[in-house]
Amino acid sequence: MLKINLQYDWENFHANYCVEISPGVTTLLGGSGEGKSTLLHLLGGFLDGRGELFFNEESLLSLPPYERPISTLFQSDNLFPQLTVWQNVAIGLSPSLSLSGEQKTRIQWALEKTQLVDKKDRYPQALSGGQAQRVAIARALVRKKPILLLDEPFSALDPALREEMLYLVNNVTLELGLTTLLVSHLPQEASLVGGRVILIEHGRVTAYEPVSVLSQIEPHPLFSRYLGMPSSGLPSAEGANSSTI
Amino acid sequence: MVKCHDSIIDVKLFFFRTVKGLLPALLGVGFFLLMGAASLAALLRYSELHSWLGYMQQPYLWRVVRFSLWQALLSSGISLLIAIPVASCLIHRQFYGRSALLQLFSVSMVVPTIVAILGLVVVYGRTGWLNQLFGVQIPLYGLVGILLAHVFFNMPLAVRLLLQGYDLIPSGQWRQASQLGFSRWAAFRWIEWHYMKKVLPGAFVLIFMLCFSSFAVVLSLGGGPKYSTLEVAIYQALRFDFDLNKASFLALLQVSICTLFAVIVYRIAPINRQDVSLLAVKSYLLKDSFWAKSADYLALLCAFVLVIPPFLAIFDPIFSPVFFKTLQSVALWNAVLVSLQIAIPAALVSLLLGVCFGVLARFCMARQYFAFLPNKIEHLGNMILMVPGLVIATGLFLTLRDFGWGLQSSYWIVVWVNAVMALPFVLRALMPVMYQQERRFRNVYLSLGIQSWSRWCLEWPLIRPSVAQALGYALLLSLGDMGVIALFGSQGLVSLPLYLFQLIGSYRLEEGACVAVVLISLCLILFYCSSRFIGGVTARVKN
Repeated sequence: MLKINLQYDWENFHANYCVEISPGVTTLLGGSGEGKSTLLHLLGGFLDGRGELFFNEESLLSLPPYERPISTLFQSDNLFPQLTVWQNVAIGLSPSLSLSGEQKTRIQWALEKTQLVDKKDRYPQALSGGQAQRVAIARALVRKKPILLLDEPFSALDPALREEMLYLVNNVTLELGLTTLLVSHLPQEASLVGGRVILIEHGRVTAYEPVSVLSQIEPHPLFSRYLGMPSSGLPSAEGANSSTI
Repeated sequence: MVKCHDSIIDVKLFFFRTVKGLLPALLGVGFFLLMGAASLAALLRYSELHSWLGYMQQPYLWRVVRFSLWQALLSSGISLLIAIPVASCLIHRQFYGRSALLQLFSVSMVVPTIVAILGLVVVYGRTGWLNQLFGVQIPLYGLVGILLAHVFFNMPLAVRLLLQGYDLIPSGQWRQASQLGFSRWAAFRWIEWHYMKKVLPGAFVLIFMLCFSSFAVVLSLGGGPKYSTLEVAIYQALRFDFDLNKASFLALLQVSICTLFAVIVYRIAPINRQDVSLLAVKSYLLKDSFWAKSADYLALLCAFVLVIPPFLAIFDPIFSPVFFKTLQSVALWNAVLVSLQIAIPAALVSLLLGVCFGVLARFCMARQYFAFLPNKIEHLGNMILMVPGLVIATGLFLTLRDFGWGLQSSYWIVVWVNAVMALPFVLRALMPVMYQQERRFRNVYLSLGIQSWSRWCLEWPLIRPSVAQALGYALLLSLGDMGVIALFGSQGLVSLPLYLFQLIGSYRLEEGACVAVVLISLCLILFYCSSRFIGGVTARVKN
């Protein structure tokens, strides 16, 4: 259980996230600039937030990024261009790249799982966008951290590939029992991976629901504005708004 | 047929108009080229090629070449070796005085050479601080002194160059390093070193060339013919033997070694694995350790010990009675006058040349047939870094002598050579902003027909900070010049640096310190005036 109660202020943006997330995949939806990535940066420890952050009763807030039980996949810059695929994965286990035999087996396993075994000596520049993100997933796999954060990592991929990656994420999450947070601007992605969805507006968590709310014929009132669909009849924006509170 | 005729007229008209607009710039660059060519021709006319073989066999020559290379290699190697950990420390640690140290680093590059030499003599000399405080005496005159001076000047430069390399590191890499728990050493090995490798060859070549052609340092701290560099040998050939043949031979040798070296190092420079991330750089937390801390302390200590004492030493004798006595001497104020008479015209000429180069280069920028030119034009201006100023000066002197101008031309030669020597720095300050203006507004200017003077007026508020910076550099360089003036200085033509050099030579260090303080104050005042009155206050805010 990931318990979040975080505040963060930056110029005119005042975020206040409050939610308890259970294991499995959770997709973070919301328009751009509403504070989805900010939440992930707060969780990763790249921004200093105030409040509380617990994972299985352990407080994470005072920990530096490298001691948090978290792996993050960013939109870009996940890989070091100066290292090969194998090194890029291995560095997740040991920053000095000195590995035990058991660790090497684990890397092999992760590379197999992400179908990268034949690419292991290549440099990231020689990979396609999808392959590059698979390397990043492989690194997350070997790190075995219980929380996986994905910040729109597949938004630059074409639809078929994206689908493939989401399946991979979903499999990994279920298999290893991870708590996965996926930031997305596409509701279809949420439907694909299943689990639950969080709606973020103005730096606030306004809904935490099973993913099925997105496919209801009568859309959930909280999501109707984000999805751009009328919730019932012809409601005004204010109507939708007031019903959320 | 008629149409075709028309278009030819159009082209001619266009050509005529643009050339008319560019005429001043063309004249400026042309004059620069003419002067260069004339001095080269004059030098070659006075050289006898058949005797050059004889020079090649002199052991003295090869000793000088060997020493020039050796001290340059050592100086640049040591500078970079210290600069690497210092740069890494400055990136990762926030400490009190960090920005002040960076400021000091940028200052130490423009401190007049001779002033820094005085500082070094006061600290490390026979009766210096080191001896007084710790009883340690080092053989300042010779290789040690040359290395100390070169590291003092170039280590800060190396740090700044390396920091530019750090700017290339995408913040995503730091973010990853932070999450993956990199130690400082791992971060250095996997991230920083990779980007440093890109700037190191360039930094090494630059520093090597600066040390290789170092003049004032070797002249004052070399302490004898054993420790002479090519540049000093040229000076001796000209000043003491007036052997033009030998001087031009040495000059050619110097230029070819520099060129060769630059070519080799650029060849072996590693391939650029470029990646782009435009996120602003923000520092991320890395795992700290005892070893990382100790290494940082050691690096900083090194930097402090090398850079700060000579600075302080300059101001040490301020409170001595000699200081005020020197302030009242006529020789000092004559030197101030001479310095101003040289520096101000030289800086203006340099700026004018720089603008000519800039205007011409950007005109060619996106034009089909000339697109290859801007780089070449810039190189032309920078080429001067490879050619010893003494050689240009001598060539010029000979040319003018052919026109019947004798020694009375020395003043103008000093001014011109100072202007030309400052040109690379002026270009570096001026070009980026001029290019940027062209790139952003070319089409607007073209469509509205805004040209030459009116365009200049429109651009002025935007480029004036850069113009001020360029002029400031040129002023500082000309004020501190201790090259050409050493060759052409005479009774009536003693600038402040030359005066200071003479004082150091006769161990009158306290008087020297006074002159140094006056020289530095003059530098500061002129630099301030330049950025205040030309740079403007509002302009800086706008940018």
